[in-house]
Amino acid sequence: MHAIILFSHGSVLCGAGENLFALARQMEARGDAPIVEAGFLNYSKPIFEEAFAKCVARGATKISIAPYFLVAGYFVNVSLPPKIEAMSAQFPDVEVVVAEALKTHELLAQAILNCAARAQKPEKWRDLLDEAPRFCIDNPQCPLNGTPKCPLRPSPR
Amino acid sequence: MNSKNALLVMVHGSPRPSSNGSMFQVVEQVRATNAFDFVEVGFMELNEPPIPEAIDGLVEQGATSIIAVPYFLHAGSHVADDLPTLLEEAQEKYPAVEFSMGDYLGHDPLLMDVLAQRVSEVASQ
Repeated sequence: MHAIILFSHGSVLCGAGENLFALARQMEARGDAPIVEAGFLNYSKPIFEEAFAKCVARGATKISIAPYFLVAGYFVNVSLPPKIEAMSAQFPDVEVVVAEALKTHELLAQAILNCAARAQKPEKWRDLLDEAPRFCIDNPQCPLNGTPKCPLRPSPR
Repeated sequence: MNSKNALLVMVHGSPRPSSNGSMFQVVEQVRATNAFDFVEVGFMELNEPPIPEAIDGLVEQGATSIIAVPYFLHAGSHVADDLPTLLEEAQEKYPAVEFSMGDYLGHDPLLMDVLAQRVSEVASQ
């Protein structure tokens, strides 16, 4: 069974990973692969190794890793390969391929135009920041941690 | 005064400027649609021009409205906090220009199609 892992950097802001989970759910629902999971390199959970193990537990025999990166830089070319090697040693029967980063694509140009069409006035510019507390995990690196906006730690440590 | 609309693509910037090549190609495709009178790129850090300078340039060219789209994949601190701050400063500097902020690139559903295509390029091998 084919699985896709959306491999991403991760972010310190609580809730920043939610978008990738939504992408994974929608790609799985529409059948891009029977299994689609998100895995992060830093800050956000699950980490790549956990996503890989979850794919295997769900029955994956082949895993395509799709870097959710604009270009394949250090994180894709240097950080990722040893992680794949370690997981392949643990699950030697699972075939692994790595796709290209997003790079250039006419759909990205269309996506920019779509994003522009959804443009908001200044009073809406910080809506994303205001949503972050809903996903609070008390991450000490989150920029909201220790500020009045943080539900778990509204004052500095 | 004629109204002139501008698109500002806000990019993180890279310690390896060659990494921006793909993004510039995508922006060129946007420019070719002629959906905007002006299309410019501004960087948050590391590369030139910085976002405030890119905005200065658009205003000098006569832009009366500027839509700024974050070329970012995540709703992290840059998109949620840093870029709004830069745009608020720009709005203060140019009160006669109408600024709006677009959705961030990673939030567009078309990203799923690009990801699926990148997978299909290697999955059949």
